[in-house]
Amino acid sequence: MEPNYRSKYNTHVIRIVIILVVLAVVSLGVRAMIVPKDFGKYGHYRPGAIQDEMDREIRNGTNASCLPCHPYIKEMHFSGVHKTVSCEFCHGPVADHIKDDQVIAKLPKKQGQEIKTLCLRCHNQIIRARPKESIKMVAMPKHLEDKKVRLDHTCDQCHNVHAPLMWVKQAKAMMGVVEEENKQ
Amino acid sequence: MKDIQAEISKDRRAFIKKVLGGTIAGSLFLVIPAGAMDIPEQIAGMLEEDGPFITKKKFAFIVDITRCIGCGSCCVADKNEYNVPDGNYRTWVERYVIDVDDNVYVDSPNGGLDGYQVPREDVVQDTIRDTFFVPKLCNMCEKPSCVQVCPVGATYQTDDGFVLIDEKRCVACSYCVQACPYSVRFINPVTKTADKCTWCYHRVRKGLLPACVEVCPVKARLFGDLNDRESEVYKILHQPHVISVLKPGMGNKPSLHYVGLRREVV
Repeated sequence: MEPNYRSKYNTHVIRIVIILVVLAVVSLGVRAMIVPKDFGKYGHYRPGAIQDEMDREIRNGTNASCLPCHPYIKEMHFSGVHKTVSCEFCHGPVADHIKDDQVIAKLPKKQGQEIKTLCLRCHNQIIRARPKESIKMVAMPKHLEDKKVRLDHTCDQCHNVHAPLMWVKQAKAMMGVVEEENKQ
Repeated sequence: MKDIQAEISKDRRAFIKKVLGGTIAGSLFLVIPAGAMDIPEQIAGMLEEDGPFITKKKFAFIVDITRCIGCGSCCVADKNEYNVPDGNYRTWVERYVIDVDDNVYVDSPNGGLDGYQVPREDVVQDTIRDTFFVPKLCNMCEKPSCVQVCPVGATYQTDDGFVLIDEKRCVACSYCVQACPYSVRFINPVTKTADKCTWCYHRVRKGLLPACVEVCPVKARLFGDLNDRESEVYKILHQPHVISVLKPGMGNKPSLHYVGLRREVV
C-alpha cells in the first residue's frame, strides 16, 4: 500500500487563495477608479481626448481675422506682390492682439535692421537652396550699391513692406521713367 | 426776445441731449462685443461634422520641395499656434546640400524658425550639385508605431486617420519618441507630456487649414481631401511621381507626401 503523502491540513492553501482573491478585488477596484469610464469606446484611448484636442485655442486667426479692422492695409497688401505673405507671419498671432473682440495688446512692429533680416529670410540670393524660378532674389549689399544708396539703408526705406513695388512704381511714374517690361 | 431766449435754451437742451445720447450709445457700442470673431470656413463642410470622427473626408498633406523657399513662415506660425517651448519643434525645415561626390550635408539652425540667413560655410560652393529645403512634420502614419508602443493609451489614432496625444493620460515615458521613425515627437518641457504636430486637428475640425499651410507664401504645403477628385492633393497623388513618402521601408504608410523628394532625404 502506497503511503499517503497528502496532508490533511489545508489552511495554508486557503490563506493563499484568500490573499489572491483580496488582491484581485483591490486591484480591480483601483483599476476601475484609475481608468476613465468610457476608455476603450473607440479604441485603446479615452474618447474625451478627441474633444480635448478639438477645444484647443485657435491662435492664428488667418488673414480674415485681421482685414475687417485694417481695410487700408488690406487694399495695399493685396494689390502688391506680397499678397501671399500672411499677416500673422510678420506681425504675430491674432490671439496676442484680440481677445473676446477687445484689443488686449499691440503686436510688436519690426524696426530698422530687424526689417532687413525679415526681408532676407526669403529674398537673400546667397541662399542657393531656393527654387530658381520662384520669388525675386536680392544680393546684399550689391543691390544697395547698384541703386547708389547708403549701405546701412533698410529695405523699407525704398520698398513698402506690404506692396514692395508700390513706391518704386510711383517714383518711376513721377520721374517719367518707362519700365523695362513695358518697353519689350 | 423771450421767444428767442426760449428757442436757444430749447436748442441747447436738444443739443446736450443729443451729445449725451450719442456718447452713451457710442460707449455701449465699444463695450458690447459685436459678436464672436468670424473666420470664414476654409475647408467646406467641416462644421457639419459633429460626430467624434470626420466621416466624409480623408485628409492628406503634401509638401512640395520644389516650391519651398525656406522662409520659415510655417515654423513661426506653428510656434505661435501652440506656444511651443524654445528648442522644441513640432515642424521644422531642413536644408540639404549635396555635393558632386554625393556627400550629403543637412542642417536646420533653430529648426528654421529664424529662416536661413547664411549659406553653409563648410561646403565649397562650386562643388554643390543639389541643394533644397525639406519641411518636416508629423507623417500621420496609417500604421503608427508610436500608437503601438504607448503603454497607457495616451497616443491614439482616430478613425479618420489623425494620430493624437491625450495630455491627461500621457506619463512621458518617451517610448513613442523613440518609436517614431521620423523623429517628430518630443517631450514638452512645459506640459511634461509627449507632444508632436497634429496637422492642427483643432483648426481642421473647425474648418480651418493647418496654421503652416495657411501662412506658406509659395504654396509649398498643401492640405486637402483625397475623397474630393477636384482637390489639389488628389490630383497630385494620382499622377506619376517618383518617391513620395519618407522611409517607405519602415512600413508605417505615412499620409504625408512629398513632391520633388530626393533619394538622399531621410
